[in-house]
Amino acid sequence: MYKLPLPLNKHSINVSFSTVEENEDSTFHKEHERERPRGKRRNGEREKKKRGNGRRKGASKEAGEGEEEMQVRPEKRERGKRRRAKNDQEAKGRERDEEEQTKIKSAKTTKTRKKEKSRKTEEEEGEGESEERNTKRKKKHGSAKKEEKEEDGGKRTVKEKAQDVKKKKHKKVVETSSEQETSEESSEDNEEEDNEEKEVRPESLSPEELEKLKEAVDERKKLIQGLRGKPWPMKKKLVTLRESQEFVEKYEGALGKGKGRKLYAYKVMMTKKWMKFQRDFENFKTACIPWEMKIKEIESHFGSSVASYFIFLRWMYGINMILFGLTFGLVMVPEALMGRPYGSIPRKTVPRAEEASAMDFAVLWDWGGYAQYSVLFYGYYNSQRAIGWLKFRMPLSYFLVGVGTVAYSYMVVIRTMARNANESGVGDDNSFNFSWKMFTSWDYLIGNPETADNKFASITTSFKEAILEEQESRKDDNIHLTRFLRVLANFLVLCCLAGSGYLIYFVVRRSQKFALDGLENHTWWERNEVNMVMSLLGMFCPMLFDVISTLENYHPRVALQWQLGRIFALFLGNLYTFIIALMDEINLKVIIVRQTFTVNITIHPVQEFVRLIISDTMTTYITLLIGDFLRAVLVRFLNYCWCWDLEAGFPSYSEFDVSGNVLGLIFNQGMIWMGAFYAPCLPALNVLRLHVSMYLQCWAVMCCNVPQERVFKASGSNNFYMAMLLVILFLSTLPAIYTIVTIPPSFDCGPFSGKKRMFDVIHETLESDFPAWFSKVFSYASNPGLVLPFILLMVLAIYYLQSTSKSYKEANVELKKKLQTQNEENKKKNKRAALKAQMDLEEARKAASQAAEQQNNNASLQEEESETSQTYHHGNHGAPGYLPGFSRQSEPRMYRVPSLQRH
Amino acid sequence: IPEMVSPAIALAFLPLLLTLIIRYRYYFVLFYRAILVRIWKDCVTGLTREERAYQYILTHATPGDPDSILDAFDVWCSKVEFISNIGPKKGKILDRLLMEQSPLTVLELGTHCGYSTVRIARALPLGARLYSVEMDQRNAAIAEKIIRLAGFDDDMVELIVNPSDEVIPRLRSDYGLERLDFVFMDHWKKSYCPDLQMLEGSGLLGKGSMIVADNVLFPGAPKFLRHIRKSGLYEWKIHRATLEYSKGIRDGMAELVYQGIK
Repeated sequence: MYKLPLPLNKHSINVSFSTVEENEDSTFHKEHERERPRGKRRNGEREKKKRGNGRRKGASKEAGEGEEEMQVRPEKRERGKRRRAKNDQEAKGRERDEEEQTKIKSAKTTKTRKKEKSRKTEEEEGEGESEERNTKRKKKHGSAKKEEKEEDGGKRTVKEKAQDVKKKKHKKVVETSSEQETSEESSEDNEEEDNEEKEVRPESLSPEELEKLKEAVDERKKLIQGLRGKPWPMKKKLVTLRESQEFVEKYEGALGKGKGRKLYAYKVMMTKKWMKFQRDFENFKTACIPWEMKIKEIESHFGSSVASYFIFLRWMYGINMILFGLTFGLVMVPEALMGRPYGSIPRKTVPRAEEASAMDFAVLWDWGGYAQYSVLFYGYYNSQRAIGWLKFRMPLSYFLVGVGTVAYSYMVVIRTMARNANESGVGDDNSFNFSWKMFTSWDYLIGNPETADNKFASITTSFKEAILEEQESRKDDNIHLTRFLRVLANFLVLCCLAGSGYLIYFVVRRSQKFALDGLENHTWWERNEVNMVMSLLGMFCPMLFDVISTLENYHPRVALQWQLGRIFALFLGNLYTFIIALMDEINLKVIIVRQTFTVNITIHPVQEFVRLIISDTMTTYITLLIGDFLRAVLVRFLNYCWCWDLEAGFPSYSEFDVSGNVLGLIFNQGMIWMGAFYAPCLPALNVLRLHVSMYLQCWAVMCCNVPQERVFKASGSNNFYMAMLLVILFLSTLPAIYTIVTIPPSFDCGPFSGKKRMFDVIHETLESDFPAWFSKVFSYASNPGLVLPFILLMVLAIYYLQSTSKSYKEANVELKKKLQTQNEENKKKNKRAALKAQMDLEEARKAASQAAEQQNNNASLQEEESETSQTYHHGNHGAPGYLPGFSRQSEPRMYRVPSLQRH
Repeated sequence: IPEMVSPAIALAFLPLLLTLIIRYRYYFVLFYRAILVRIWKDCVTGLTREERAYQYILTHATPGDPDSILDAFDVWCSKVEFISNIGPKKGKILDRLLMEQSPLTVLELGTHCGYSTVRIARALPLGARLYSVEMDQRNAAIAEKIIRLAGFDDDMVELIVNPSDEVIPRLRSDYGLERLDFVFMDHWKKSYCPDLQMLEGSGLLGKGSMIVADNVLFPGAPKFLRHIRKSGLYEWKIHRATLEYSKGIRDGMAELVYQGIK
């Protein structure tokens, strides 16, 4: 409760009502409720000056009542004189007053400001500095107001006296307390007394006072909670916060009685410690999220769309970690530790012909030689049912891990999609967008300058995004032209897709021809033609699409989705052409095998696959280094000696290509899913790649890219990525499932060799490792007659859940609307009520002041005392009696206060 | 001999080529219009580009009417050949700045064939004086003719045929200038920065003097921009626009207001 430490003149009251709304309001009410002795009122005024201790003193006032009565008197006399003088003045020059009224008003604002300043400083100053404060005040008011000065002088003396009295009183209180309480507590008192002399011991208080103290503590707590929303300057907030916290800390523990008090204090302390720990833990958790700071930094400079890519990358990394954990822990490690050692059987040995070159880097780089005959590939595993002393069921584990990774991926993707859909549905983004941004953007908890810079950048970026969004929504162009251009653009893109498809088809056919001829007869270019062409097309076609999409004139977010869709089509076409080529190659190999009876054929296509992934990764990194880094270096340093401005003009720095990168990531993941069953090393490889990507791309984006020309909000595009990922997941698991279900495993390689179908492993396990009844139950359960109804039931359940969730959503929207309207209505009602109360109050006060005036005129010196209280009371509410202008001024503020409090 | 690169790989580069062509089409057009056409016409007619422009203006514009001369220039530059004048769009910005400022002493660096000189002169208040600096003798002769054709006399527009770095130090002594209210730069982009520094050193710039520099983004004057950013002597902004007589090439015009050393 912060009231003005100044004498009660009109300006100060104005200030108090305008700035210290809630607290002032509460005192205002109290003043009406309580019928207190006058001395106390005076004391109350002093109380305001000593904010920190105010409450306590208020509570301990009763003890020192008598003394206070005395020291208050001279001040009252002072006041009375002034009042009389004022009245005379008023009588003489009412006209002049009215003339000057306008002038005063204008002066008032500046004075108010001054007051506020002085008030702030005073709040910071301690009790003992009252003299200094007084001089300040003198300066402010100028020497013209002699009365006030006089009063100041009077007050000062009063205060000094008051302090003396306080000390005396304090000692007295200590004495009484020691009488009342046990000796232990009194000793504690003494200790505390040494620390802070002016404190009043809480244990010395009566229950009633304790109650008050508790109230005060609660109030402080409330203040601390609501401090962030207060319209105060930062400095004041900080001071208030510190003081309130000190106060609460000091007295919170003191509440409660006797033995319970200690326990209570202990409890409070523990809660505080616990809260602090929780906060630290939260911070720690944030710090533990990998790359969070990096991504935030990127977001602040490049906008949410670029950041969404990195968040996606991180998410992908997490999934791959789990896939890696599964394959590594359950397949690769057991096989390496407990499986038959290298060289024990033909499939685990490098053929003699290749042995000489098996350790060469070139061979290893192509995943041949020792790399081929290792746990990294499917062909190395053998069909031994249980390995090692643990009797680890290797083939079963291999099969289950293969199925499990796919199932897990499906689950995660779908769950994330559902969550994203939920998130995007809630919240109203459109109304008051700019106001929200303007007034709520800054985070006041930011403490370090770098973060502040980042936040500044991010607010700027978000404003840019919002402005663009707004512009976009208001645009209206020639619709026919736009439509025509869009159709044209799609036609061009289709042409492009067809062209690239044909080129790949052509290249694949040619490579088959080469393979038949024998690869040794052809150059390196021709041997790597398929990979090269695919990488180049994958690199350049998106650029062409990007150029074409400028025709369409979409909003950047929509354009991004189109771009993603197109590149998706392109990549998918490429990938499937490639797979078809692989199938052809297998057929080809089968022919050769029949002729030459060589082994290990199934390994070869998988190897091809791994090589493709590696070359893809390499292409990505090289593109990044050349296209971004080299370009940036050239632009930066050639600019010193070039005939035009390279930075601002033609090549410029590159922008971060969100669509290309996202799709690269998605397709890479697709290939991993596709190949993971046949090459357990793939998840590990991918984890490595993603890890490197994260650092490399973060570095590249901050070091050599510039923010997009049109920054846009990424909201909603996340689910688009997910949808693509789902499609890719489906498409990439199709071939694997197809091979598992239809193609019999080759007779002499892989964990399933010798079996008719791969999933026979399960059957085998059921028969030999489980009791008979279990396999019987399982065979019943897998009966189509049971499975089909179950699936039907599931579909129905999904339908039911979906429809209910839809209706819930609708209900939510309805409720929201209702809440809003009700809120508005309440606001109106409150306003009306407050206005009415205000009017009544005003009337009552007018009547009172008139009465007071009359009394004043007839008053003799003996009646002074009774009058002073009246003056005080009346002054606190805007002094409408002799300055009509001010009563009018303060009115709106007065009724604003309650309405504010209610919210 | 086996071929080095297979044709299929070469074909895969086709999208890249197309992308580059489409993305930088304006630059190719500019290259064609500003260089190829110019060389061709130079060979065919035996006249310089500026002389051809002058001939066109003589036949198509009304003497004594600056507006008509400017219009004729614009038509010639956008339809026939390319000369890097300030152009109509950026010219409007220049006009506005001149109207707001109504300067009495104006220095123009780089007259070329007088388009911007006429543009500035027509926006000046009565009694103002424009000094225009051109390095090239032949261009200056044509610019002189065009300025006179537009109806501006010696008192209003004074043409100085000399390189700007020689003229600026002598402005005070030879031409009796005390202060420049407005400086327009449109000469060699490399000279922007040294000339600006020279102007700062000469003491001709007073508080409130405005300097406008064209083509700061394309062809661009990075050193100039860096200087104004760092020096802290100016309040500045860049009016973003496109290159004169071209739609797709972004360019900017820098507007500087000299604040002096604080």
